[in-house]
Amino acid sequence: MECVYSSATGEELRSELTTLGSRGDVAGLVLLATPSVDVTNGGFETTLQSVPVPVCGGVFPQVIADGERHDSGLLAIGLPNEPTITVVSELSEPDTDLDASLPAGGSEAAFVFVDAYAGPDGVESLIDALFRTYSVGLSVVGGGAGRLDDDGPCLFTADGVIEDAAVMAVVDRPIGIGVRHGWEELAGPFRVTDADGGTIRELDGEPAFDVYKDAIETNAEATLQRDSFFETATAHPFGISRLDGEPIVRDPFAVDGAAISCFGPVPEGEFVTVLSGEPDTLIGAAEQAADTALGDETVAEDAETLCVFDCISRQLYLEDSFDREVSAIDTDALPMVGALTIGEIANDGTGHLDYYNKTAVVAAVSTDA
Amino acid sequence: MPERQQRVQALYEIALSIGGKETLTDTADTALAGYLRKLNCSVGGIFRATDEGYEPTATIPADPTDNSLLATAIDRLAEVSTDELPIHAEPADGTHYYLFPLPEFGVLVIGKQGGAIDTATQSALTPLNEKLAEACRNKLVERQLREQRNRFEAVFDAIPEPIANTVGDDGTERIIASNSEFDRTFGDTTEPPKTTVASNLADADTESAGHNRPINTDESNRRITTETTCETVDGTGEFLFHGVPVDGEQAAEYIHLYVDISDQKRREETLQRYERLVENLPIGVYRTTPGADGEFKLVNQGLVEILGADSKDYFENRPVSDIYADPEDRKAFSDQLLEDGTVDNVELRFETVDGNQIWGEVSGIVTETDDGPVFELTLQDITTRKERDQQLDVLNRVLRHNLRNALNVIDGNATMLENGLDEDSDELKRHVEGIERRVSNLEELSEKAVTVRSLFDQGRSTTTACDVQALLARVAREFEDRHPEARVVVDAPEESLYVNADVRLKMALSELVSNAVVHNDRSTPEVKLTTETVTRDGEQAVEVVITDNGPGIPEHERQAIETGEETPLQHGTGLGLWLVYWAMSLLGGDIHIDDADPGTRIALRLPRVGADTHPQYDGGTEMAVNSGD
Repeated sequence: MECVYSSATGEELRSELTTLGSRGDVAGLVLLATPSVDVTNGGFETTLQSVPVPVCGGVFPQVIADGERHDSGLLAIGLPNEPTITVVSELSEPDTDLDASLPAGGSEAAFVFVDAYAGPDGVESLIDALFRTYSVGLSVVGGGAGRLDDDGPCLFTADGVIEDAAVMAVVDRPIGIGVRHGWEELAGPFRVTDADGGTIRELDGEPAFDVYKDAIETNAEATLQRDSFFETATAHPFGISRLDGEPIVRDPFAVDGAAISCFGPVPEGEFVTVLSGEPDTLIGAAEQAADTALGDETVAEDAETLCVFDCISRQLYLEDSFDREVSAIDTDALPMVGALTIGEIANDGTGHLDYYNKTAVVAAVSTDA
Repeated sequence: MPERQQRVQALYEIALSIGGKETLTDTADTALAGYLRKLNCSVGGIFRATDEGYEPTATIPADPTDNSLLATAIDRLAEVSTDELPIHAEPADGTHYYLFPLPEFGVLVIGKQGGAIDTATQSALTPLNEKLAEACRNKLVERQLREQRNRFEAVFDAIPEPIANTVGDDGTERIIASNSEFDRTFGDTTEPPKTTVASNLADADTESAGHNRPINTDESNRRITTETTCETVDGTGEFLFHGVPVDGEQAAEYIHLYVDISDQKRREETLQRYERLVENLPIGVYRTTPGADGEFKLVNQGLVEILGADSKDYFENRPVSDIYADPEDRKAFSDQLLEDGTVDNVELRFETVDGNQIWGEVSGIVTETDDGPVFELTLQDITTRKERDQQLDVLNRVLRHNLRNALNVIDGNATMLENGLDEDSDELKRHVEGIERRVSNLEELSEKAVTVRSLFDQGRSTTTACDVQALLARVAREFEDRHPEARVVVDAPEESLYVNADVRLKMALSELVSNAVVHNDRSTPEVKLTTETVTRDGEQAVEVVITDNGPGIPEHERQAIETGEETPLQHGTGLGLWLVYWAMSLLGGDIHIDDADPGTRIALRLPRVGADTHPQYDGGTEMAVNSGD
């Protein structure tokens, strides 16, 4: 896959993308933009329309190109096969029939980007629809798009910029997927006795914040303060357990009274644990995800590119150590591209499709169509 | 977290996904997703057992053929019996499927790649599977009930008659559902339509239900059927009301169906009026089967009275031929009617119950029924008319033969008497001349009586067209030849005018012209014949006007003609004007007599016709419009 990172804007960016799209080995483009790219500008839409191949993408906090993180510019991934671009609209509308919006099966893989601010229910509805429709028949990788400080439109296709939606680029090209996070149980389990979407109000019948605070302060050498909630909470996400697999991570990012808000839904009635993670463990898990992706028999020796969708909150937690995670994933043999997302989407070809937080998703894209 | 605790936790969370959702599919779909998510499985399905095998209720992925593992599991499912469940198989390394029984519903299929579900978890799933089966069973029953309700509602709305579902509550009845036709007919209301008990049910075993609805209850099944009059949006209407109880805990629930019979009732009333009319007609109306004997199917009171029967019962099981004076006539009549399909005014002799013979005039048609052809007949008693005809025949014979022969004898004797008188027997000669004059008058009267009889022999009306102008010219010529002292002129336009008439019009004209000439006291009798076109009752008519300069028609004769009646005190002197009156009456015309100055003006008025619209009779072989010959 031909990948181009550009910090250009305006006509220059348009020219670069048009040139890339005109290459004989490029039949479609996936664009991973950083917040520095003003996708809502009319000029950007004109750029999208000028690209001679199908195009889709989103805005992410950071992108990864050639093994390096960038918080500005745009990464263009040239797909060697023409993708089927699908837009799933109105995710947060409860009556939207998402199943009907999805393309027919039969393809190998799909890059899926969802508006992270469509709300936990909207994202969960999309994930459910994808799994019900394709199960493991379609290898799905991607993540939540958006800006950390702004919830404006963050997804786009050649038809324009959109929000409260998801975009899919379905390709006939096998990919191997590795999904790991490395977070480990610190405390719990706690039964979620009152929750709505991604907001936990009660745990074990007690105010969620109190239970969470007690769990952290009892089991870790940390103090949880309301005014510095994010700084502490980023080191202690919630885990939703499942048999025979790592727990699904839910990232708490705000507190309002006793209620704790997370990226992604936390079903009422289920159990959560409080997790903690050592940097080395997390980095090791990311490396394992890369190994799993590269070791997938569907790509075998044919992997030509590593696509990484790692969580921005892992970077916020690991800070400078995050570059070690990127390096751990990176193999000199393959180009490595990707984005730091607000939540990750993946199935590994064998298990359940989920929306993750604080997780590293690595996809090894095969050269064979 | 210990493995056991994690398993219990996962099973608990799976249990959360099991429960009644809006539909069976939703219930199965949600539960299946919960199983797969918590067991970290990739594919699965919930299948309902049917007589034909297993039918998918929910699968992940949506198309189970998209996944080889699930397809393999489904194939296996088709081969195993319920008793063999649960089943675990590993069709390929690291790839497993599980078939779990869902008691009294079907089977849960789960497929896992990259590892197996441990035995303890498999066992622990059993109570969850039973819970899932129960939820699916409940939803299936719900779905069946909903489908049944949907079907009921579809029928409810499709019925073109007003229909409502009611429940009784504290002695009152209210509507809980109604179809659109009900709302259109009675309005959008929760109260049953206000009704009145039909008059013919007033004495029936009915009771008020307290909701203005007449009830004729069959205690055994509580069904109600009655005719009723209901207030509708448009006024009132006649309905056949059916009340059918709905079995259930609410004993007072009913389905009300109102069949609009307003038109039917109106038709029945119209039919009843016709039946009363037929019943009270002074002629016999009856229906019989064909055949030499025939069977009475219906008789009216008129036939009962004509034949002098006690009642209609007399005709039951009695052959129709019994009422014929000669039963053979019945066979001939039946054959003729079957052949022609209709008969008009056939005169036949019948025999009354007392054995008296009467004359009847029968008309009828053949109509087809489900049981074959039947005769629908009318019978008019014409015995009196036939007797009068006989009397006329006798009188005619008396006038034509007996009276004339006697007059001939008297006339001959008078001639011989006159010849035997002396020349100076003037007074006796005057007596003899008087006798001869009277004999001559009587002969003329006899001739005229014969002419009158001939008028009637030709029947009513005619379809031949008569050129009135040509007729007037011919009459004028004849009288000029016969009465050269008179002046008979025709003052009419040359354009031909046609009326339906035959020789009777000429007879009437000749009689009037003759009267005008013979009874004229002027030295030169003058008669003018003219025609006028007038409009009568919106139809064009031709008036033939005869004007003379004579003394006029005596008032008493004119009145007799104009009223059509003679009395002992008001009668004419002869038959002449009656001849004119009857001729015009038989031709469908009329006569108007007015004074002229001097003399009399008589107008004969007949409908005008076109020359080419009727067969034309010239009395011979040439096709020409007749002129009254």
